[in-house]
Amino acid sequence: MIRFENVGLRYGSGPEILRDVNFHVLPGSFHFLTGPSGAGKTTLLRLLFMSIRPTRGLIFVFGENALEITAAGRAELRRRIGIVFQDFRLLDHLTTWENVALPLRVMGKAEADYRDDVTDLLRWVGLGDRVDAYPEVLSGGEKQRAAIARAVIGRPELLLADEPTGNVDPVIADRLLRLFVELNRLGTSVIIATHDYALMDRLDAPRLVLHEGHLEVR
Amino acid sequence: MNPPRFIAGIRDYPWRSLLAGLLPARFQAKTAQIVPSASIAGNALTVVIAIMSFLACLTAGAVYMVNQSAQAWVNGIASEITVELDPVNTADIEKKMTLVSLFLAKQAGITRVKPLTAEDSAKLLEPWLGKSDALSALPIPRLIAVEIDRSNPPDIKTISEALTQNFEGVTLDDHRRWQAEIRTLTRSAALGGLAVLALVAAATIAVIVSATRSAMASNREIIEVLHYVGANERFISREFERHFLGLGVRAGLVGAVAAAITFLLLPVVTHALGGGSLTATEMSRLVGSGELDLPGYLLCVLVVFVVASLCTLTSRFGVIRVLKSYA
Repeated sequence: MIRFENVGLRYGSGPEILRDVNFHVLPGSFHFLTGPSGAGKTTLLRLLFMSIRPTRGLIFVFGENALEITAAGRAELRRRIGIVFQDFRLLDHLTTWENVALPLRVMGKAEADYRDDVTDLLRWVGLGDRVDAYPEVLSGGEKQRAAIARAVIGRPELLLADEPTGNVDPVIADRLLRLFVELNRLGTSVIIATHDYALMDRLDAPRLVLHEGHLEVR
Repeated sequence: MNPPRFIAGIRDYPWRSLLAGLLPARFQAKTAQIVPSASIAGNALTVVIAIMSFLACLTAGAVYMVNQSAQAWVNGIASEITVELDPVNTADIEKKMTLVSLFLAKQAGITRVKPLTAEDSAKLLEPWLGKSDALSALPIPRLIAVEIDRSNPPDIKTISEALTQNFEGVTLDDHRRWQAEIRTLTRSAALGGLAVLALVAAATIAVIVSATRSAMASNREIIEVLHYVGANERFISREFERHFLGLGVRAGLVGAVAAAITFLLLPVVTHALGGGSLTATEMSRLVGSGELDLPGYLLCVLVVFVVASLCTLTSRFGVIRVLKSYA
């Protein structure tokens, strides 16, 4: 599904943030991506999502060389990937419901076909009473849950989440983790970037550990 | 072009979403606005496009009126020929007028022969020489207006040769030179109009390109999120172009209605500004009745379509170009 071969990345003429990164993500797998702050977790997720290009090495996403892919091809691949950003990236002029429904609108689906699905998912992540609220009135945890709901609504083949439980209480964190596990059981590969060891200890899943630019699988 | 793909593109195009963009922001469904209307363009842009549309309608209408008037002139003078009698060295000009008129009346294809009196000929010179008794002392050529049957036209060349052989100092003018000059004038007016329309179109494109770039800069975050959820360039450009289509239609209509009112009021305004009967006559020579007929107003409707299309297509290509520069 995803293959990194000797991937290196540096910004400008600065030091290499990632060095000789090699790993495979198989269909239906579940990984935690961890490491100290500033280790490059977010950068690695951005490479996986094709929003930046590596300085060297090869990245294959769903069998396609990420360096040779066209803009249209990248858009198609991104529809198969759900991503949760650390800063949520919700659109302030859209309601919670509209934000979550956005990937389905982009896919060209009719609203009648997904209206109930979006509402059900929002209820499941504990936002059933916030469907018409705008992001500016949501708390950090509520925004995070809305961002997660947006990432998973399209049943992606790969889910990338950057610190998805960083702003929520343990009860909600546990519920979100169960959502990720449930998605994984349904066939979605999941990569969760986190330094929350308590969260990682709740699940027996391989850990991709970033340290000084190198990646190690534990 | 791949025809099935083209047809599928038209069939699958989100027309409903595009048409929703025609409505002013307050009447649009909130779910229809991934890119908010307020972030696209302010009233200033609408005013600029409305002015462009107004100028385009005025130009198109004026060229159309000049063309219609010139066509009427050509039709009029093509139905007539003029026979001119040299008054010098002619002892009895009235007798010669009668003989020539009788000769012309006998020719096939001629429906009416009207000899003009000396007073009629003098009146034709009044706009240049004014009213004066001295005119009667001048050797003014005498004229015979001859109407021809356009469905069964006479052999002008033969008649002209016969007149020259039988009557000294008599010439025939078939108005071809005038027709050629009127056609030249019409073509010049049309070319001038096209040049003005081209300038208006270029200015409109430049304004829309600038507005598109500005709209994309202020909506950069939205564009990024759309990219992240898998939106392709066409989806993003459609979100912008439907706003510009709405803007183009609204501004185009305002400009066209303003131009239509101007055309309706043109005769009244010309009169109110102090134009006497002479000005009115000159105006009517230039632009006919000075009022647009139905095809003329349809031309204004066409301008609305063109302005709206220009706004839509320019924004589409502008957005796609900027998106490519992001990649």
